[in-house]
Amino acid sequence: MKKYKFFTNLDQEEQWLNDMARQGYLLVRKSLGYQFERSVPEEANYRIDFRTFKNQRDFEDYVALFEDSGWTHVAGTKGSGAQYFKQNGDQGNEDIFSDADSKAARYQRISDMWMTLCCCFIPIFAALISTDAIDASVILKPQSLYYTPGLWEMSGPRFWQAFLFETPFALFRGIVWMVIPVMIIVYSVFAYKAKKEYDKSQQQ
Amino acid sequence: MSRDKHLPLTETVYYILLALLEPAHGYLIMQKVEELSAGQVRMAAGTLYGAVDNLLKQKFIQPTASEDSRRKVYVITDLGREMLRQDYERMRHMIEVTNMQWGKEELLHEKI
Repeated sequence: MKKYKFFTNLDQEEQWLNDMARQGYLLVRKSLGYQFERSVPEEANYRIDFRTFKNQRDFEDYVALFEDSGWTHVAGTKGSGAQYFKQNGDQGNEDIFSDADSKAARYQRISDMWMTLCCCFIPIFAALISTDAIDASVILKPQSLYYTPGLWEMSGPRFWQAFLFETPFALFRGIVWMVIPVMIIVYSVFAYKAKKEYDKSQQQ
Repeated sequence: MSRDKHLPLTETVYYILLALLEPAHGYLIMQKVEELSAGQVRMAAGTLYGAVDNLLKQKFIQPTASEDSRRKVYVITDLGREMLRQDYERMRHMIEVTNMQWGKEELLHEKI
C-alpha cells in the first residue's frame, strides 16, 4: 500500500508511522510516498534522523552504528536526507538522540537543505529575467500570448473557435516560467517552517 | 592567557576524546563512554554520530585504518589531546580551589 503525506514535524511523522504499525502496516520504503507492507499489528517505535552523505562508505558506517545500537534502518538512501529507523524487539521506547540539541539539529539540516534548493533556483530565475526569456508584461497584455495571425480581427463563432483552441497553449506559454518563482517561494516556506521547528525544539 | 574558544568541552565530548586515546568505531565509543562515566553518560546513536561528525570537522579526532569494511575507526589527534589536557587542567584547578574554599569554611565552623 502506498500513502502520500507531507510532514513538517518529525515527532508527528514518527507518531503516524507507529499508528500505521499498530494497524498492521509496516514501512518498507520511502520515496515520494510511503510504501507499506501488510503485516501483524504491532507496537513499533520508529525514529527519524535527517542526514545526507558524501559517499556510500559514510552511509554504510552510519547505518552500521545504528544497527549495532539495536535499530533497523528501514528506509532512506545516501542522498535522501530522511533516514527511518525502527527499534528492534517489541515494546521499545528509546530515542536515537540522548540530548535536546542533537535532536533539534535535525531541523537545522532540513532547513539548510530547503535553503540550498531555494538558492539553486534564484540564479536560474535571474538569468531568465536578464535574458528576457521571461516577459512579465504579459500579465498586463495577455493578448500577446496568442500567436494565431489575425485572431483579434476575427469576429463571431470563428473568433471563439480560434480563441478557445489557442487558450490552453497561451496559458502554458504564459504560466510555465511561473514554476520557478513558485518553487523559490515554496522552498523558502519549507526552510522557514523547519527553522521554526528548530527554535521550538531548542526551547524545550 | 586567553582560553581556546572550544573550551570548556562538554561532558560527552570530554568522554569521547578520552575514549579515543585508543582507536575505536562508533558503537565501541558509545560503550566506552558509558563505562568511563560509570554509567552516567549514555549516548544514543544519532547523538553520537553528530558528535563524532563535529569532532572530525574540528580536527580533534581523525579516521584511522580499519579492518572492518563497514565501520569506520577513529582516533584522537594531537590537537584533540591538547584540548583534553587543557580541559583537564581547567577542571583540576576547579577542584583544587573548591577543596581550598571548603577547607576554609570547615575551619571557620570549628572556631565557632
